[in-house]
Amino acid sequence: MRNDSIVGKSVPRKEGRDKVTGTSQYVDDMVLPDMLFGATVRSQIPRGRIRRITFSPQINWDEFVIVAAKDIPGKNCISLISDDQPCLANEAVSHPEEPVLLLAHPDRHLLPQAVAAISIEYEPLPAIFTMEESERRSEIIWGEDNIFKTYLIEKGQVDAIWKDADYIVEGEYTTGAQEQLYIENNGMIAAFDAAHGITVWGSLQCPYYIHKALMALCDLPAEKVRVVQMETGGAFGGKEEYPSMIAAHAALLAMKSGKPVKIIYDRMEDMAATTKRHPSRTHHRTAVSKQGKILGGEIEFTIDGGAYATLSSVVLSRGAIHAGGPYFWPSIRIRAKAVATNAPPHGAFRGFGAPQSLFAMERHMDRIAKQLGVSPVEIRRRNFLKPGQATTTEQVVREPINLQKLLARALEVSDYQFKKEKFAKENQGGTIRKGMGIAAFLHGAGFTGSGERYLSSVVGVEGCADGSVRVLVSSTEFGQGTKTVLSQIAAEALALPYENVSMAQPDTLEVPNSGPTVASRTVMVVGKLVQSAALGVKQTLISSNLLRDAYNAEEFRAACQEYVATHGQLRSWSRYEAPADIFWDDQKYRGEAYAAFAWAVYIAEITVDLTTYGVSVDDFVALQEVGKVLHPLLARGQIIGGVAQGIGFSLYEKVVWQNGRMQNGQMTNYIMPTATDLPPIRVFFEELGNVYGAYGAKGIGELPMDGPAPAIVNAVADALGIHFDSIPLLPEDIMDGLEKEGLAAPSHESTVGLAGRIR
Amino acid sequence: MTDSRAGHVQARISFTINGGTRTVHAHPMERLLDVLRERLQLTGAKEGCGEGECGSCSVLIDGMLVNSCLVPVLQAEGSNIITIEGIAAGDTLHILQEAFLQGGGAQCGICTPGMILAAVHLLNRNPEPTWEEIREGLSGNLCRCTGYTQIIEAVAEAARRRATA
Amino acid sequence: MVAPGSLNAIISLLANEPGVWLPIAGGTDVMVQYAAGKLAARKLVSIWNLPELRQIEATANGIRIGAGCTYSDLRRNEIVRREFPLLYSASGWTGGIANQNRGTIGGNIVNASPAADSLPALLVYDAELILVSVRGERRLPYAGFHTGYKKTLLATDELIQAICLPRRFAGYFSHARKVGARYSQAISKVCIAALGLLGDGVVQDIRIALGSVAPVPLRLRETEQGVKGKVIDSELLLLARGALVAEIRPIDDIRSTARYRAAVAGNLVAEFLKLLSSRRAKPGDVPVNPVLARWNRLSTVDAARNILPCCGSINWAGGMAARRPIADEAALLAASDETWRNLTPADWLEAFQSHPRIGESRSSSAQSPQILPSRDQSVEWSTQEQGNIAHAETAAKIALADANREYERRFKRIFIVCATGKSAQEILEMLRRRLRNDAESELHEAAEQQSQITQIRLKKWLQE
Repeated sequence: MRNDSIVGKSVPRKEGRDKVTGTSQYVDDMVLPDMLFGATVRSQIPRGRIRRITFSPQINWDEFVIVAAKDIPGKNCISLISDDQPCLANEAVSHPEEPVLLLAHPDRHLLPQAVAAISIEYEPLPAIFTMEESERRSEIIWGEDNIFKTYLIEKGQVDAIWKDADYIVEGEYTTGAQEQLYIENNGMIAAFDAAHGITVWGSLQCPYYIHKALMALCDLPAEKVRVVQMETGGAFGGKEEYPSMIAAHAALLAMKSGKPVKIIYDRMEDMAATTKRHPSRTHHRTAVSKQGKILGGEIEFTIDGGAYATLSSVVLSRGAIHAGGPYFWPSIRIRAKAVATNAPPHGAFRGFGAPQSLFAMERHMDRIAKQLGVSPVEIRRRNFLKPGQATTTEQVVREPINLQKLLARALEVSDYQFKKEKFAKENQGGTIRKGMGIAAFLHGAGFTGSGERYLSSVVGVEGCADGSVRVLVSSTEFGQGTKTVLSQIAAEALALPYENVSMAQPDTLEVPNSGPTVASRTVMVVGKLVQSAALGVKQTLISSNLLRDAYNAEEFRAACQEYVATHGQLRSWSRYEAPADIFWDDQKYRGEAYAAFAWAVYIAEITVDLTTYGVSVDDFVALQEVGKVLHPLLARGQIIGGVAQGIGFSLYEKVVWQNGRMQNGQMTNYIMPTATDLPPIRVFFEELGNVYGAYGAKGIGELPMDGPAPAIVNAVADALGIHFDSIPLLPEDIMDGLEKEGLAAPSHESTVGLAGRIR
Repeated sequence: MTDSRAGHVQARISFTINGGTRTVHAHPMERLLDVLRERLQLTGAKEGCGEGECGSCSVLIDGMLVNSCLVPVLQAEGSNIITIEGIAAGDTLHILQEAFLQGGGAQCGICTPGMILAAVHLLNRNPEPTWEEIREGLSGNLCRCTGYTQIIEAVAEAARRRATA
Repeated sequence: MVAPGSLNAIISLLANEPGVWLPIAGGTDVMVQYAAGKLAARKLVSIWNLPELRQIEATANGIRIGAGCTYSDLRRNEIVRREFPLLYSASGWTGGIANQNRGTIGGNIVNASPAADSLPALLVYDAELILVSVRGERRLPYAGFHTGYKKTLLATDELIQAICLPRRFAGYFSHARKVGARYSQAISKVCIAALGLLGDGVVQDIRIALGSVAPVPLRLRETEQGVKGKVIDSELLLLARGALVAEIRPIDDIRSTARYRAAVAGNLVAEFLKLLSSRRAKPGDVPVNPVLARWNRLSTVDAARNILPCCGSINWAGGMAARRPIADEAALLAASDETWRNLTPADWLEAFQSHPRIGESRSSSAQSPQILPSRDQSVEWSTQEQGNIAHAETAAKIALADANREYERRFKRIFIVCATGKSAQEILEMLRRRLRNDAESELHEAAEQQSQITQIRLKKWLQE
């Protein structure tokens, strides 16, 4: 029976009606009987030994549940990769806002006073706050040398190229921390009883990360820990690893009190205490021929991991692998390291290292162009990877990607050439300067190298008693469309109407571990497993003679109902198997880093107003090759949303630090763009397919994060003729840059001078 | 048992909400947001920032868009409140809710109730807004997922449909 | 928190426990402080939506804005939009729509943040505050209300009741701009509200106020002085920058730096001056009346002398001269009324004496010597105004003369009436009615007539 294709159509969002009617259940919407509220007592200093904790007598502490490190039944750590991060500080603290004690009480209004009534005395230790201080090693705060992880990627003969270089171009590029700023703050509810163990419900991306962490923390077996994802109001990586910490806290309070405990952070606590994007510093030294071809180079990529290792090694890995961009490097040496500072640990945020290293690469390409006297367009044309060539990790590009054409198309739809010439003329006078900027990049989807093999994801598809179909995955919906697209894929695979398929709410009691919802892997990797598991359901029904090879929806429903009535359950499982032709060497850090890369060219048109030194983005073109677009509306929404976050990353979102603590932890002072700050963002797709992805899809969730910052800063450089190499690029920084070049004043006056410099 | 509000007189406050009259006993300074969510189980309004910056707590009071995290419940006495739960007519969605659904205006959904109410407020006053006017009308509602484009398109589409209905 | 619901009840509360009660209007500032635990020692009294505080009333001379008006109320008001564009713009920049629906102008003033968007507008519009307490009402010029960072002259038992703005600025070029970290929902890094008047190629009047460059919203009086009377050229822009830098005291804070603020403040002022100098009249724009433009530039003595015939009171003439520059007819008439109201009965009498007795053509009282030359003008106008009487029937004239004498016997001065457009019979009837007034009422009625005469004369004066 023929079925109109569902994949490729913008079918209705599965949980959309709940969202527009306000009936979705987010964690703070849930109330359990007898529930207590929890709060966290946190360190006020960046580093030191805990000497004494005093509880003020003005509070009746008998009413409170109090949990300290000694109450932890299992291991006092949040188990992730290395187990160095304590759940509660015991003898020492290593960063401001580090959790020390937990409190619970039935009246949540009493908690702030109670927290304030606990004073902790410390013996302070010297603390470090920058990558440079960490590298100097005057203080060792982690391991032997403050270094969480290093990687070395080498290709070709990099030491031999310098003598042949016509140009050697150097540059250093830095990016700041960025707060994920999901509009729903972190929250968890935990309940405990001896029979069932621990159950947590919360705002989260990765149920099985929390499951693993709670097993170790509470010393409970797998079947005595249950994690349920509630509707999650944005995540972007900020709820990848952090929820394990807040779940642990709620669980400990629940275990001690015997009552359900809800912990919901307010905005200030969430901003100050939870993870942010790793700050980075990238140094490029590149040998270039006079034909404008890259001969080779050295890249030093350093990221600030904060006080504990958490995910820094993986962020570092992705950043290092992407550091060379979409270009052909005959020789390269990439030295990457993640270092420790006394700040709350930095963590996952959409892009996961790639936005940092790609910012550097794309700024550096414009620098090379300038030094050689060629255009930003030309320098990229001459160095783009071609099919058959190998990346920096020696991964051969096997798909027919044509980056020349991609660039040409982006230039055309953005009217680049015409605008560039127009702006060059108009920038001669007045107080407005306009510019165009390009960023070309790639983004690998799925876990790096052997990661997917290690994850060994399992997916289930179920034929239900009523004849409908359910997808069983631990992949979570948090706005990107997981439920919708995985249902689409299963429906397509089974040739059933989209309405007959749904996705089960991720609950570790119900669903297998299909891996974390990260790394742009859900549609591509998990979706492909959904496809095969769905086919498994069909196969079972056919082999049971309940269904013929060709069937309609009604026939499927009847067959399914009958099977379940007879056998009790109809479930088919599919486990990830690494493709035979993907090789990755973890030691040499070489080989096929990712099953698939998506490719992109982004172009920004900006205005700099010399009265305020402010930048506005007037037009933004996002063109990308993504394998196959399974859901046009969702895909477009992902790109636009990611570009908006990238614009924030480059022009607005500055974390103000003081002694390791974020000072501007409020929405008033941490600035993300509003509706009036962004132009309509124009999205275009190309589709080459992808054999490793469901219905040809590649991952796209993180891709849009990589392009906006370099495209915009390149555009500012084009407008002003000045290099800017650090983001966020605020008006204050632009003013400083202009002043340094002696170009300060706008043309209100005919003479040069800022206030105070009258000539 | 210690009560944070012990010693403070509770007030009896009545208002119309989504078409029905309700009376609550609450501390006069309790935030309207908390009264809605905790006492009336209307959890559509969300707390995103607690300081009137994000708009996810927006409701309509006497037809005016306000941030309910900044309204002490005593000041809502006698008023007519509409929350997201009161926007649809039974099972029939409001034209804006339909437009958001069809146009990808909601991703994670946490800003959506406030955003839809802000759009209702805008269209009630300006039935055929320009792109700029829509942006301005939604400028107090932050969205981290969508980058706003599909939200603005949904509002424009709803306005178009209403005009041709 | 309590909500007594009436202004009287609230000010009684404030008086009974001074410093304890904190008024809360829309709550956009107070609720944030409350949530942060900063108001634990205070009790709150709601002043939200009090009818006594939420009206906007306009008279010919000014607009009175209730302190409880929200920014949305201001944006909806036609007079605010047309005649006070700086306030109108600022109202649209104060938070998003939801916060504009709750935030009040009184609340913003009392919160006294130097970054508040609408306060510079109030400074350049010469706002006057009406404060109220159990002790009664007092009026203060808004300039000087802020005495330091978040400190004001508000007494602990006082509320701001209203903000009065004179309707004098419709003819001015106005320019406002806010510089924040983003286009909406931003606390300003710097903001400017400015008015300018050009005439004969030079700056006639200039008023500039900035936010976020000092502990208080700042009126740049020194910079204004340096710019007044000059031609706007690149040299003046530099001069203005230099004066401005000396006047402002910006700081580094979580939002921005002192250096940035100083530079951008200078850029904003320069931008304003440039716009002012290149201002093209829009359709409907009225250019500055040349009589007014010239009069604006006279010395104080000459200006007083020149305008005296319109009224006859030296103090009125001096008061008018002091209010220069005046933009247009509407502002002129408004200024006249206000000046007149603030005079003493002695000044009124002086004005009365400058007229000839109604029906006669010469004034009978002594003149002040130094103003002598303008008497001719006054006499000529009197003749025009009394035109109807001159042509009246003899019987009517006789009756009028008799009544006049009776009036003078009773009130010891001549009968003052705005004769323009009135017949002899009408004037006679009015005279006979007023003969029955007591002295106090009659003085006020005569003064009212005089002010009408002055209005008519001012209009003629503008046509010369």
